[in-house]
Amino acid sequence: MTRKTALTLLSLLFCLALSAQTGGVKGTVINRSDRSPVADAVLTLYSGAARIGTVTSDAKGNFQIDALADGMYDLVIDAPGFMQTRVNVTVNDGYVKNMFNISVSPAASLQEVDDASFADFDFDGLGYDDTPTILYGQNDVFNETASYNFSSVRFKARGYASESQDVFLAGVKMNDAMTGYTPYSLWSGLNEIVRSQDATIGSELSDYGIGGYNGLVNIFATPSKVRSGTRFSLLTNSAFYRLRIMGTYAVPENDKGWSYTFSASARLGGNDWVQGVYYRSFAYYAGVEKNWNDRHRLALVSFAAPGTRGAQNGSTQEVYDLMGDNMYNSNWGYQNGKVRNARNRITFEPVTFLKYDFAPSNTFSAAATLLFRGGKNGYTALDWYDAPDPRPDYYRNLPSYFYVENKDYNRQNYAKYMWAREAWETRDPTTAHINWDRLYDVNARNPQEYGNRSKYVLEERRTDQRDLNFAANFKWMPDTRWTLKGGLNAKVNRTEYYKVLNDLLGGDYFLNIDQFAERDYSSSATMIQNDLDYFLRHGEAQRIHEGGKYGYDYYAHVFKQEGWASAGFTRGAFQAVMGGRVGHTGFWREGLVRKGLFPGLDADGKPISYQGQVITTYDAGGKAITSYGNSEKANFLTYAGKLNLSYSIEGGHRIFADLGYSSEAPYFDKAFVAPRTRNTLIRDLSNVKSLSADLNYIYSNSGYNLRLTGFYTTIQDQTDVMSVYYDLQNSFGNFALRGIDERHVGMELGFEAPTPLSGLSLIGAIAYGDYIYTSNPTMTATIDNSAEVIFDNILVPYWMSHPENGKNVKHYVSGTPQFAGSLGLSYFYNYWFIDADVSYFAKSYLDMTPIRRTDAATAGPDGLVTAEEIVDMARQERFDPAFLVNFSIGKSWYLQRKYQFGFSLNVKNILNNRNVKTGGYEQTRMVDNTVSHTRYYNFDPKYFYMPGFNYMLNLYFRF
Amino acid sequence: MKKSIYFAAVALLAAFFSSCEEWDPVFTGKYEDPGTYEAVTKTPNTTIAELKALYTKTGEPVKIDRDILIGGRVISEDRSGNIYRSLYIQDDTGAIEIKLGKSGLYNDYKPGQWVYVDCSGLSLGNYSGMLQLGFQDPTGEYETTYLDVDYLIRAHVFRGQMDAPVTPAVLTENDLKTALRNIPKDPRFGTLVTLKGLRYGCNESQYSTATQCIFCLIYGDAEHSKEKRIFLSDGTYGVTTWAMSKPGFIRYLMAGNFDTGVSQDGTLKISNPAVKEWLKALASAYAVSQYFLMGDTEVQVRTSGYARFADTQIDPAVLDGTATLDITGILSTYNGAIQFTLLDLDGVKVH
Repeated sequence: MTRKTALTLLSLLFCLALSAQTGGVKGTVINRSDRSPVADAVLTLYSGAARIGTVTSDAKGNFQIDALADGMYDLVIDAPGFMQTRVNVTVNDGYVKNMFNISVSPAASLQEVDDASFADFDFDGLGYDDTPTILYGQNDVFNETASYNFSSVRFKARGYASESQDVFLAGVKMNDAMTGYTPYSLWSGLNEIVRSQDATIGSELSDYGIGGYNGLVNIFATPSKVRSGTRFSLLTNSAFYRLRIMGTYAVPENDKGWSYTFSASARLGGNDWVQGVYYRSFAYYAGVEKNWNDRHRLALVSFAAPGTRGAQNGSTQEVYDLMGDNMYNSNWGYQNGKVRNARNRITFEPVTFLKYDFAPSNTFSAAATLLFRGGKNGYTALDWYDAPDPRPDYYRNLPSYFYVENKDYNRQNYAKYMWAREAWETRDPTTAHINWDRLYDVNARNPQEYGNRSKYVLEERRTDQRDLNFAANFKWMPDTRWTLKGGLNAKVNRTEYYKVLNDLLGGDYFLNIDQFAERDYSSSATMIQNDLDYFLRHGEAQRIHEGGKYGYDYYAHVFKQEGWASAGFTRGAFQAVMGGRVGHTGFWREGLVRKGLFPGLDADGKPISYQGQVITTYDAGGKAITSYGNSEKANFLTYAGKLNLSYSIEGGHRIFADLGYSSEAPYFDKAFVAPRTRNTLIRDLSNVKSLSADLNYIYSNSGYNLRLTGFYTTIQDQTDVMSVYYDLQNSFGNFALRGIDERHVGMELGFEAPTPLSGLSLIGAIAYGDYIYTSNPTMTATIDNSAEVIFDNILVPYWMSHPENGKNVKHYVSGTPQFAGSLGLSYFYNYWFIDADVSYFAKSYLDMTPIRRTDAATAGPDGLVTAEEIVDMARQERFDPAFLVNFSIGKSWYLQRKYQFGFSLNVKNILNNRNVKTGGYEQTRMVDNTVSHTRYYNFDPKYFYMPGFNYMLNLYFRF
Repeated sequence: MKKSIYFAAVALLAAFFSSCEEWDPVFTGKYEDPGTYEAVTKTPNTTIAELKALYTKTGEPVKIDRDILIGGRVISEDRSGNIYRSLYIQDDTGAIEIKLGKSGLYNDYKPGQWVYVDCSGLSLGNYSGMLQLGFQDPTGEYETTYLDVDYLIRAHVFRGQMDAPVTPAVLTENDLKTALRNIPKDPRFGTLVTLKGLRYGCNESQYSTATQCIFCLIYGDAEHSKEKRIFLSDGTYGVTTWAMSKPGFIRYLMAGNFDTGVSQDGTLKISNPAVKEWLKALASAYAVSQYFLMGDTEVQVRTSGYARFADTQIDPAVLDGTATLDITGILSTYNGAIQFTLLDLDGVKVH
């Protein structure tokens, strides 16, 4: 007998000896939907009407109530986010009765609408890259309400950017290595698979890593974690796509320890609100898992969500008003009478992982995952060469380009204004939409030596990732007081950024030259080349055919390694967890083509010449500006530390506080001045620092659920880059911002309260915060074509605030309402559920551009800054508050106790409010040719709106 | 087993829906080639000469309120960038510039293609001696303004059949002299012509005492104010290119070519290094008129700094007087002189 076995036996005997003395009851509370343990469930034991005692389940869902006399008891289980459950318990002969698993059902409203809510994840394909930062099924009374009721206005929890949320899959952090974006699109359409997850909020510590200030969610995604059975659902809705078909087949573990799961779905069609938006998206999942005596588990899983989706575009209010439609989409037009969208996301990014779980005892478990993400990610757009801008809402096509009341704009031709207005108001299809037929006509009638040279093409911007990850973690409970966790993560990512010619639109070829370089250097044969080496070899620019790479082509290399550990201590009702991580992030750019503007040096380190002239260019420091080959490597030490304290009070109260500090590497996409053209890193890149604290109170008892949280977070030293047209220089410029600081302070309240009417409860959530900028960043600008510095490290003086009427007006973090509230009634009876709520949103702000908040922009051409100019250039728009009413109804039936059939119908925005802005951004461009020559004016901002009345009907069948 | 059948059935259903391309208003499959435009054929009721005859008094643009339809073949091409936002059409009686106001016009209007213009509602104006068809300009800054608005263009300008390109007329010096006496209505203005045997040099310039010269106007501030303008005339300043792109201008400027230049108000002297740096920061592409002589008649070949051939060197043999030029392009006039616009360098032959 080994020593370990002896120990185990001894402890077993000890337990038996203890339990033999008095009677009791023990068991494990689990979630009925995914069999995962439910922590913090409050179990109250009654003998008749008398309350005998209360205990709380531990992190593994375990509970035990001792010292019970023989008899019949009622055990009432309350857990946040779950329906109250009652079971009868009989205690005999002084034994501790093991009830094994007591399953509780997620709160009724959630269980029935979750399919529908998940469709919101598909938002990210609609034009701008934000995904909900509120997660579903977190068993949190605030998040449950917020996730459903606040998602339509793109509410972001605590105002944090979506990339601040850590999203793990099978223990591996899946946030995009280049941008940090949450990767929900990788598994959209696999709702049944990803439902089973474990999440923390704010600065809470997790089992899978330390995380940041915006919570961590781990999606299990292994076959054994998928609810077993066969399920089909058919969904139609009016705001996203016509039809979703989804089927899942999960075989529970057989005698030999094997389990399998398969799932597939299709999402198809357009919607009632945004013309041109469509889905042709599919998803599949296949997983197999083998269990050896609950000691070893090995799972192999592969899934992907391939498909094509048409995207939506924001326009100015002028355009929306002309079209009489705030949901107007400028991305599409008629081709041969058929609707065609120019902006399509074409993705196929399969994820495959192998996961090993090791659980040698009840007190120790470990897991390791090897995961690979590959495939392709494309986004199409029109590209053109020396031909008029084909986008219908280009500013020169709008009435305001011809007439503005203010004479200083130098736009006074009212007759032309009326012509332009009539074209839009009569919905002239070649004005209001892309004129595909003309694009084909132009391409087909441009004969050159090698055939018709296309002037308009559809480009596909590719971001193809090769992302290899390894993650391992363990959890060890050496005794009843201590829990130790730790792990290692490593990521190697090589992402290729390039353009592919998607469609020649009727022509025979496209030429691989840079038309923006040509604006300045039309007489230079070399500077206009996108692929200089090709030109030097062949003496002419490369001709591109469909499927050919062109424009730019480079690798982003990213390496990350990290180790983490945490220790938890429990004593009675008090719990403390402390953890930290330390790691390294490194990245560099590797140019795969040599661009004519920035040839750099040849393989021998010598300058490059053409026709006897050196064409290599140098920066102010005398270094060759390089597009080809490896850039410098940027390296960052990253670290974070967290402390969680928690105290439970009998009767379902818990108070806990979290404190966290982190120092993170900037992301690749915000680290290079102009990654498409050159290797230049932003100078003095530094880590992004955040400090976050929150204090929470939770109450969960007798059907009441409540969470109240106060939080305070500072985020410092963020960077941003953009390449945009700069009117004050009449050329494209690269703008790099450093030192962006934010402060997020606020509160969250979520509650659920039963009413005297059985089955009817009152549900509400409020989030109120102040998410502001607390610094004025500095900005460096260079000319895109020459890397020449326009200005270096200047302050953006009106970024965090601007003076107005003697007061300093703060500027706010955009992208979310900073005040959101909802109140509703939920009724559940005999498998019917009805849910009605009203929501209110306010304090939403427009996304700011720094360029207009500089001294140069506020001063205007005369160099004099007036109070009026500052207000006009620097003021941030605040959106009008919105008021929404939603309603849901559903019912499920059991047939022959074996089959379950049900439906849910969600109706959103019943009042058909079509004036709710969900987001938008300021344009960077300015009107600079004014009559007075004293000031500039801003271009109008672009907005996105929420759809009006919309519905979602889901039918499902399970067995 | 039964479960698998269900599963297969749903999978089949999914496959069926996804292959059904047209079940939805959004068509997401392959798109058919829409083919080329449908050529319009119209019968003009007015010649270009008759249209031009409506213009009677300088400074008074004519708003056309009658049904006047003109037609002609396209003679201009903005591919090289030397013509910008305008289209020239020519019939048997003459040619006229139509101020369409769009860039890249050669994509839609090809040399030799018939174009018809419904002139009612448009304006006929004079720009320094050239008659132009455009839209009324309420600011009065110019006699006409660009049509600009797509919808307005489509209501007035119609694309017809492709035809053979117009053959340029070869003009004599006498033709030029006659034309100069008939500004603005001489039928030769605006037409496609060839001028032969041009020598490099100038003689009629009001500013010049030199025998070779260019004309170029440089702006001394971002607002393009009159008092800060710098005129480069009265010599060649060593400018040996057809015009100056932005980098081309900077090269000349920094090499000291323009050091004698002074702004109208006398405050900016290019020889001052600070002024030079200022002009470099303000730099843009600049148009240049290179002066030639046909006999003793001056021909100012004006080229835009945005033309692709702006920085192309003029043949040294032409500059030193050992060779002559034949040029083909659009004949125009500017403030009483002959101005000439090349369509591209194919219109330049050295002898």
